[in-house]
Amino acid sequence: MSIGDSGKETSVRFRGGGFAPRPKRWASWLAFAVIISAWQIASMSGALPALFLPSPYEIALALQAIAADGTLARHLGASLGRIAWGWSLGTLAGLAVGISMGIWSLARSVGIPIVSALFPIPKIALLPLLILWFGIGEPSKVATILLGVFFPTVISAYSAVDNVPRNLIRMGQSFDMPYAQIVRKIVLPGAMPGILAGFRISSSIALILLVAAEMIGAEFGIGAFILSAGNLMQTDQLLAGVVLLSMLGLLISALLARLERRVLKWR
Amino acid sequence: MLSSFKGRLVATAFGAALAAAALAQPAQAAEKVVVCALTFVSSSPLFIAADKGYYAEEGLEAEFKFFRAAQPVAVGIASGDCDFGVTAFTGGFFNLAGKGALKVIGAQSREEPGFDFVGFLASNQAYEAGLKSVEDLPGHSFGMTQVGSSFHYNIGLMADKFGWPDDAVALKPLQSVPNMIGAIKSGQVDSIALPAHIVAGLTGSGSAKLIGWVHDYTPWQLGGLFTSAKNVSERRPVVEAFVRAYQHAARDYHEAFNKLENGKRVFGSEAEALVPIIEKYTKAKPDAIYAGSPFIDPDGRLKVDQIYQQVAWMKKKGLVDESVDPKSFLDLSFISGHYGVPAN
Repeated sequence: MSIGDSGKETSVRFRGGGFAPRPKRWASWLAFAVIISAWQIASMSGALPALFLPSPYEIALALQAIAADGTLARHLGASLGRIAWGWSLGTLAGLAVGISMGIWSLARSVGIPIVSALFPIPKIALLPLLILWFGIGEPSKVATILLGVFFPTVISAYSAVDNVPRNLIRMGQSFDMPYAQIVRKIVLPGAMPGILAGFRISSSIALILLVAAEMIGAEFGIGAFILSAGNLMQTDQLLAGVVLLSMLGLLISALLARLERRVLKWR
Repeated sequence: MLSSFKGRLVATAFGAALAAAALAQPAQAAEKVVVCALTFVSSSPLFIAADKGYYAEEGLEAEFKFFRAAQPVAVGIASGDCDFGVTAFTGGFFNLAGKGALKVIGAQSREEPGFDFVGFLASNQAYEAGLKSVEDLPGHSFGMTQVGSSFHYNIGLMADKFGWPDDAVALKPLQSVPNMIGAIKSGQVDSIALPAHIVAGLTGSGSAKLIGWVHDYTPWQLGGLFTSAKNVSERRPVVEAFVRAYQHAARDYHEAFNKLENGKRVFGSEAEALVPIIEKYTKAKPDAIYAGSPFIDPDGRLKVDQIYQQVAWMKKKGLVDESVDPKSFLDLSFISGHYGVPAN
């Protein structure tokens, strides 16, 4: 009930609600199904020649072939190892630097210009240098991913710490909480949403850099597989490799969603 | 909708063709062809034909498009951007050709006994440790540009000749020749294979050691002259004219660069006359042109059996799809006298 212009009581319908998008699982699956079947039909009818784009069925066959002869496991194993090392080391270093920059003035004054200067460098351009420093073995591949992950993590951690509400910190101080406790119980949990959002970006970057990292001297790995399929004009295998990368992306995103639910329970 | 649009397009094209034919009546305008190649010495007949006016003699107007890698040349033919191309045969080339877009009609260079072309190099460290000849390669790493490249096939031929097991030589794809040179100099790979003029530079400066030439062990048909399947079926006279111009230039090249005396190469005044032409297109120094000039068949004849052999090897390694049949992409009707043509 409310008072209208005329001063009379009128009933107004409830205007709240909406603006709260919820994932509808069936809709995402349906969209995938529609796109893939349209593609398959276009290929089968001849509107889409195999020379220019292989059909989803051919891509599935290519995937099945490498799964059957065991090379898929070797490619996945090699790539997951590189991503795990590169991403974890890059994330650890990035968090340490980013959080220090969020907390301490000196770290911030030194860090911001350096990060701004180094972040935009394409890591692929540094590949020859990384090879000179680390050789053509695993370390140069891990270093490529590490560098790619480090900078976005620094920036997300630093701005997440920066965005922790000051009044919460002031409240902690007025209750005479020790410095270390403020950092551990207020700053870090408050920065978690921003840091986890940064993880989503850095994990995607790690996947993107996989192809670059495996350009040099890699016999196995999804990136090496995609590159060699491209060199051999085996477009069905090329797209099979791309599908593998997207599936890895989906898997990592699902893992991160789980982590978010656990870590951000306090919200 | 689409069909009416297509109809209009056909009508327009037909009208344009009529107009062009009408215009062409009096002076027989030259037929335009786009020639795609790498600026390598192995593409020399293309450059000689242009410089000496052999294309014009055949009523062709050739426009060059240059690429930095073999694959884009083949892709350019398949997409219709190029009419003719010459490059080395690679796994990617065969896969593309197997889809029906390309026809191989003649030869580019080949590994011929007596003609140093691609040589195996060992890093100084590996050489000291005992890698003195090609036969010592098992147990060592081998750097190459890409999987399925001609360098990859070189080591494969060697493995087949000596019966090495599959994983005896660790293959390291390094994407580019500069990366290969960097890796052999720093000893990050034990061995590589490179064309003769680069071999000369690296051994001359003491950066690497030569351990054998490919032609001493496994001669093979390195590359070919190819055109689109569409040109073969729809512009046959143009293809024939182009082949004649190419052969004319290949014979000039043969006179100049293919001479052996007592097993050694000799270059006479004919070579001196051609070097400036090749220099103009490849931007290579005369020394590098002499050192890097491969054997090119004077009539563009292919060693057909060696192409079958290469496709079979690529299939065995999973680099070329099982469905690819050399018979379907070879058109041997433009040049007579090809070698090793299978009976059926």
